[in-house]
Amino acid sequence: MTSGELGAGSIANVQVAEVLRRRAESLAQIQDEETSRDTRGLLLFRLGEEWYAFPIEGVREIYNDYLITRIPRVPDYIFGVVNVRGEIVSVTDLGTMMRVPSRTQRGPDEELPSAIIVANDRCVTAIVIDEIGDIVEVPRESVEPALSTLDKTQAEYVAGSVYIEGRLIGIVNLDKVLEPIGDNA
Amino acid sequence: MVEFDRSAFIAKFQEEATDLLQRLNEGIISLEADPSNRPLIDQWLRDAHTLKGSSRMVGLMEVSDVAHRMEDVMVKVRDGEMAYTADMTDTFFEALDTVLFLAEHAGKESAAEADFEGVTSRLAALAAGGAPAAAAVAARGDEPQPTRLQTPVSTAEPLQAGALPDEHDDQPDDESACDARTPGTRQEAQREEKLTSREQTTVRIRTTQVDRLLNLVSEVVIAQIKAGQRVRDLRASAARSTEALQTWARVKTLLTMLAEDQSAALDVDIRALDEVLLSQRTELAMLAKDYADDTSRTSTVVGDLQEQAMELRMLPVSTVFNTFPRAMRDLARQYRKDVDLVIEGGDTELDKKVLEEINDPLVHIMRNAVDHGIEPSAERVAAGKPAKGTITLAARQEGDHIVIDISDDGGGIDPAKVKAAAVRKGYLSEAEARSLSDREARYLIFEKGFSTAAIITEISGRGVGMDVVREFVVERLKGALDVESDFGRGSTFRLTIPLTLAIIRALLLRVGGQTFALPTSSIEETARVERSEIIKVEGREVIRRQRRTVPLVHLRDILGVESGADDGVSKIPIATLGFSGHRIGLIVDEFVGEQQIVIKTLGTHLKRVDNVAGVTILGAGEVVPILNVPDLMANGRQLTGVRMRRQGATKEKPVEKGPSRVLICEDSFTTRELERSIFEAAGYEVETATDGAQGLAKLREGLNPDAVVTDVQMPNMTGFELTRAIKSDDALKGIPVIIVTSLERDEEKAEGINAGADAYITKSVFNQDTLLDTVERLIR
Repeated sequence: MTSGELGAGSIANVQVAEVLRRRAESLAQIQDEETSRDTRGLLLFRLGEEWYAFPIEGVREIYNDYLITRIPRVPDYIFGVVNVRGEIVSVTDLGTMMRVPSRTQRGPDEELPSAIIVANDRCVTAIVIDEIGDIVEVPRESVEPALSTLDKTQAEYVAGSVYIEGRLIGIVNLDKVLEPIGDNA
Repeated sequence: MVEFDRSAFIAKFQEEATDLLQRLNEGIISLEADPSNRPLIDQWLRDAHTLKGSSRMVGLMEVSDVAHRMEDVMVKVRDGEMAYTADMTDTFFEALDTVLFLAEHAGKESAAEADFEGVTSRLAALAAGGAPAAAAVAARGDEPQPTRLQTPVSTAEPLQAGALPDEHDDQPDDESACDARTPGTRQEAQREEKLTSREQTTVRIRTTQVDRLLNLVSEVVIAQIKAGQRVRDLRASAARSTEALQTWARVKTLLTMLAEDQSAALDVDIRALDEVLLSQRTELAMLAKDYADDTSRTSTVVGDLQEQAMELRMLPVSTVFNTFPRAMRDLARQYRKDVDLVIEGGDTELDKKVLEEINDPLVHIMRNAVDHGIEPSAERVAAGKPAKGTITLAARQEGDHIVIDISDDGGGIDPAKVKAAAVRKGYLSEAEARSLSDREARYLIFEKGFSTAAIITEISGRGVGMDVVREFVVERLKGALDVESDFGRGSTFRLTIPLTLAIIRALLLRVGGQTFALPTSSIEETARVERSEIIKVEGREVIRRQRRTVPLVHLRDILGVESGADDGVSKIPIATLGFSGHRIGLIVDEFVGEQQIVIKTLGTHLKRVDNVAGVTILGAGEVVPILNVPDLMANGRQLTGVRMRRQGATKEKPVEKGPSRVLICEDSFTTRELERSIFEAAGYEVETATDGAQGLAKLREGLNPDAVVTDVQMPNMTGFELTRAIKSDDALKGIPVIIVTSLERDEEKAEGINAGADAYITKSVFNQDTLLDTVERLIR
């Protein structure tokens, strides 16, 4: 698969469709091809100056034009909730969560960028990031452990790293991001 | 003891029996074609056996007996003692029909109409291989039979069913008696009727499917609510159009006056505008009216649809209540009380989801009633009550709520005792306690961590108090828990819960530019009060409502949202929440209105958020948080400073006297050192003694610890003896004694309690936290 231009501009719907189409393709290929067992699908995205990736199997959809309802007294990285076709989904500000400087914290009237809805078998959340990139396939063996130089808070959220076109990409630990909030009550 | 209500189980049995009978019938048909099919026979026998077992479980002995006799016959066929004959088919079918009839009429008088005797005797005859009755009787004698069936077959010709003394059987079937195909016209007709009715009775549906359907129904309800809003919008629009027309009429008059030389062109325009405006108004008014009519018509249908859909999930409360007689017996044994449980209104129906949640709070309340309510028999007799206590569990429907009363005829809640405990534990000052009414005092039992129990055992007083129960009821069941008590005569806990958890009425309000929903069930009053009505008492804002002082708090402060200054507003909107004897007035920015809302969770990610119980989706797709009343009350009281917590009370106590001190009496070195390390780690000063005598000596020397932790079995003086010594010594009896022991038998526990121990912890459940918690609760 192509890695494409990382710094692609704002995400037009056409592009979203393309991303989804490619994702569908790559998902289909995982089952079809023997060789694909040795690769990992990643959805790249930008947070501040850095590029990160979600494992593609955790990505459910890309969501635009949403209206966030703020919920009082939640952790600062929770924007609120949105109504995704009748399902209530929390909105997570990954930049704040990972303590990565980003532009996801915006004024109340500013439009929010696209959100990536991610899920594991327990939880679903919509993640606000700065910019969505491509879907890439990387050889499994090229995925390395997360850099030890990472900030401690960030290290928790990064499950591994991989070089793509000379750029170091942190693979986000979705299970950590999707830890339920207030569960211990 | 309590009559065991089998109705719920009978329903379950009927469901199961329907399947079993279906298979048994099919089996017979297959067997007739292939009588030597061993796997088929085995399967058939298994089904018959299941039928026998389950019918016996629910007390349908006749069904069980018929199943048993069918088994007898089939076993012989299987073992080759008998060949399968067509006669058997008929008898089996007849037997199965009888079972079906008995199962369907279980518990009804009509069940007696079944030709039970005839069928069993014919089966017996079959089993006996058509041999004389003596053989049949002998054959049956081999196995223990349910007592009722011991009736010996009174005739030498068992096939002659009609000859049996059977008052119910008025059927002249003598001529058909020799033919095993007994059914006469009446039974034939019955069978026909059964067939048709069976088609209509029940369909089994997966609960997930029902839930999905309910989800869709709630979407329809939301759409309906939306339509209601549109009607209001349309009406407003029509009203504006009328206004426009009126304004135009004035402008027109003015125009005609001003323009003296009315040109024809102007005239035409005026007339045209007249027409347009008029028809527009008429159209709008019509549209609004038609739409309102349509909406109100669909609203009825949607209401019915919702009700019907909700009913799909309704189950009788007996499905939960039926486990209680057993639980009550266990509780009574545990607490050495003599208690009867009376259940009323078991057929009251409740949403399955609510039912699933209701069990635990009810068990807690019953446990509380057995532990704290019902007195020991001797005490009861002395008070002129029957020796055996009674706890009544009564359910009934009141409007769209279910009310469950858990009443006991025990000692009731002593307001004085509650107040004393509250003062002792630092919830209240003496003065505050005196000013409390009895009713308010009773509500203290709902305070966090509050327990009036004189003794802490593992079963009660372990922190699962009434506060937890009440919070659960309000939070999870959106209901209320109340207590009424007549001191000396008993108490009643009243649980009020909505029929369904899916839809509630709520007040929509705005704070900080955001809309929130507040469940109407907890709102006592909404009012717009003059600024002058708000008075300041000790720096807190309060209002007087109905001769009560209600503390006020800004909702924006509880929620931590920014909100514009309200100084300019003359009338301040206040929603008064009433929750278990406490009141608090929430100052909001604006009331929006009241309406039905569909409750949704906050999603899978936000499991629990302070102050927010869930969300609802309004007509326009807007998501609105639903506020959580217990949270608001707790946080609001903290803000207003009216929380009767230790902060207030400790001020009156002498200044902290340094670390607390415990005395540990324990002969085992390991245990002693373990306990020592636990307490020292928690910041206690620890003194130890190797037996009771040494401990008592240290106490008498003036050690004055905050608590004594003692083992039971020790040389020289046991823990029980030590406890008795401490509790009978005026100088020492104020010191809490915690017995930690491996003695778990009830008698021993009772001895510990009688000795006057304040807590009793068994080593098997012993852990650091229980020990520390218990000590901390006793010495605070």
